[in-house]
Amino acid sequence: MTDKIVEKVAIQTEESRNQSRRAFLKGSAAVAGGVLFTKSALADSVDGVNKFDPVKAVAPYKGEKEITTVLPDQIERKSLGFGVRKYPYGMPSPYEKEVQRRTLEWLTPDSMASITMTPIQSLNGIITPNGLHFERYHGGVPTIDPAKHRLVIHGLVERPLIFTMDDLKRFPSISRIHFIECPANGAMEWKGVQLNSVQWTHGMMSCVEYTGVRLSDLLKEAGIKPEGKWIIPEGSDASGMSRSVPVDMAMDDCYVAYAQNGEALRREQGYPIRLVVPGCEANMWVKYLRRIYVHDVPLQHREETSKYTELMPDGTAQRFSWYMEANSVITYPSPDFKMQGPGKYYVRGLAWSGRGKVAHVDVSFDGGKNWKEAHFTSPVLDKAWTRFEIEWDWDGSEAFLMSRTTDETGYVQPTMPQMRAIEGTNNVYHRTAMVTWRVHPWDNGANGGLIQNVQY
Amino acid sequence: MFSTKKTLLAAGIATFAFAGSAFAMSGNSGSNSGDAAKMDGKYASNYKEIIEANGGKYLDSKVIAQILGKDAMNGREGLIGKLDPNNPYSFEVDDAIDGGDHGNGQCKVPAAFLDVHNAAKKHYYDDSTFVANGFGTPIAESAMKIWNISVDGDGNGLPDPKVGMTVEKGGEVYVKFCGMCHGEFGEGAKGYLPLAVDQSLVATDPSAPAPMKTVGNYWPYATTLFDYIRRAMPFWTPNAPFIGDAGYMGMVGYIMQSNYIPKGFDKDGNPVQLDDDDFYNSVMLMKQNKFMKNQGNFFCDHRPVVHNPRCMKDCPDYMVGDGKGNIHHFTEARKLPDGSFQYNVPQRLHEAPPGVGHAGM
Ligand code: HEC
Repeated sequence: MTDKIVEKVAIQTEESRNQSRRAFLKGSAAVAGGVLFTKSALADSVDGVNKFDPVKAVAPYKGEKEITTVLPDQIERKSLGFGVRKYPYGMPSPYEKEVQRRTLEWLTPDSMASITMTPIQSLNGIITPNGLHFERYHGGVPTIDPAKHRLVIHGLVERPLIFTMDDLKRFPSISRIHFIECPANGAMEWKGVQLNSVQWTHGMMSCVEYTGVRLSDLLKEAGIKPEGKWIIPEGSDASGMSRSVPVDMAMDDCYVAYAQNGEALRREQGYPIRLVVPGCEANMWVKYLRRIYVHDVPLQHREETSKYTELMPDGTAQRFSWYMEANSVITYPSPDFKMQGPGKYYVRGLAWSGRGKVAHVDVSFDGGKNWKEAHFTSPVLDKAWTRFEIEWDWDGSEAFLMSRTTDETGYVQPTMPQMRAIEGTNNVYHRTAMVTWRVHPWDNGANGGLIQNVQY
Repeated sequence: MFSTKKTLLAAGIATFAFAGSAFAMSGNSGSNSGDAAKMDGKYASNYKEIIEANGGKYLDSKVIAQILGKDAMNGREGLIGKLDPNNPYSFEVDDAIDGGDHGNGQCKVPAAFLDVHNAAKKHYYDDSTFVANGFGTPIAESAMKIWNISVDGDGNGLPDPKVGMTVEKGGEVYVKFCGMCHGEFGEGAKGYLPLAVDQSLVATDPSAPAPMKTVGNYWPYATTLFDYIRRAMPFWTPNAPFIGDAGYMGMVGYIMQSNYIPKGFDKDGNPVQLDDDDFYNSVMLMKQNKFMKNQGNFFCDHRPVVHNPRCMKDCPDYMVGDGKGNIHHFTEARKLPDGSFQYNVPQRLHEAPPGVGHAGM
């Protein structure tokens, strides 16, 4: 029965093979006996019973010519591969060599105080491989001997303490998955759209599993004096990075990490230890941590006054804006891809919020007029990347794709015009509004099916 | 406590946020559900229980939203009434929590949270059952003499007033170690940051490059300058012994002079500028710390600024496309000379720089 249908469908659609998919879709209505071949026809019936319909099941292959050429054997089948220990530390396949961290040279004058972006468009799941974790340095990457590294907690504490790496590893450990995002992620897009790639629009962030010691365990060990209201983590790199963190936040869910995705931290991410401040600006996650100074007031250091403060249109500036707001991006299809013709797509992307878990992700295909709720394809974790996916039947016409996170606080990710109206365009940091991917119509000549970053 | 500017900003937000109020909130506001929040005028009277129920997380936006209820969800305009030092739910804080005013009096947690702060502390660190592990080694504060380079906004941590040099001498040190990157007069060089540019911070043309934010027109504290340059400059050999505290102090003087930060005011109220032969030390620095031009223009985190409903169908124009309902009105990235679109893919393949954009950030 099924075979016959396949045969019949194949013959009937042979002539429509070279037509556009759109024309095909219209034609197929007649072929399939008056049933419109649309998503709704394929979807659950009204009473919720899912019936397998072989006509519909084979329908998408109509118009494709069956391959009859005998498949040649592959060279890999005829010779041995390489043996163990060729790479004591494994590397990705050479065919993946284009998947790299990248920078834009015009952003900063110096590679020691610069940034690279993670190729988010090439990643799957919610974990960023260590070698692709974005980089942000203010004074280059030191190579620190962990045997010589020390962490000191002092200032307004009962008992100033100095820890070796061995000391730190004796404490109870925790492992959590969190996203880490530079507050300047997307900064190039405040004044208008500039670049066509998720790597450029959202790549100043990553999501990895960190393992380490609860900061509260360390601070309790030293005993914070009642006047101690702020902690100031400080790095042992050339920049001596320092930020002020309220002690309540420090005692809550911060920790000192020595591992990332199961192995020791990479030097780029603070080897041998870094601070983890879940949900907050990556700049606070001080790397190469060597000192935690407990103080009664914030220190008002450069990275919390001159930088990482947001200039408003009226000339005032917002400071101590620690949390990263809810955000999301469609990674597929996105500007690095081209549509492969009209038909069904599984639109997928990432959503995250510094204020907790992602509650909903909605996707619009018409520039924000109508929305459909996507489903999650990954665990939904606190302050971590969350993967979403939604089915889309592209009819080949122009579309404007947007994704919108609602986090568990009820906050709904705003549009760019809304954010710009309030925050202006000189803000630099925390540009967390939605982005828009414009899908060019399939019949638009050479640009047909191109995906372009546009901004409202 | 709040500058007029700031209130104006909040008012601007108000107008905007109200545009959306015709649309019902989605059921997901997570704020005023059930009995949890009995609104007593402006905020939930059972705020202590709410905070308790959330593990003491009184700084958490979810908790704040539950306490402030609808107002918090209505955008900043809902909070304007609360931005008042006499109002316990103002987002100005009690000094007992953040340690005091210290010249800026901003960015604190609400005063009404003081008692709950103490309750919250229990959740985190007043743990009576805590027994020290005994890992690590005690260290004397005096052993931290070299490592402790922290200076705060009150000047704690600055060198002794005997340490310093004249502004002119400071200028010589600066030209020798810093001028090649930041310009002899702090005007910037080779793409490195300028340290003294007196641009207005108010946005006029949204498409014009963002104003440069430097010590004179932006930095709220002078103490930051000493802390930072001793900590991190000169870029290739930071915290340099050959410059020393006296040299760093002198350079602060020179940079402050280049930014026209006064050292005081004459009897007619005119600013008095630093002289070349003024001895620059921590006393002079702290005098100038009070006269930083932009000090009053910082406010604490006021987000979230936009409060949209989670609209699913036929959304109102202000949420669609260009904000007026037009989805075909957009800007696009500059194209390549041949008219084609610039993608990351070709860069991945050919390793060529993208050739678009500007260095405005
Ligand atoms: C090799 C070039 C170079 C030299 C020399 C140099 N700097 Fe810098 N300076 C930088 C860079 C790069 C940054 C930004 C670092 C970052 O991204 O965190 C910077 C940042 C600064 C800032 C912060 C500016 C701001 O707006 O936040 C100050 C102040 C400063 N330098 C002062 C000095 C002083 C004083 C000296 C001399 C002792 C000096 N610099 C020497 C490259 C240099």
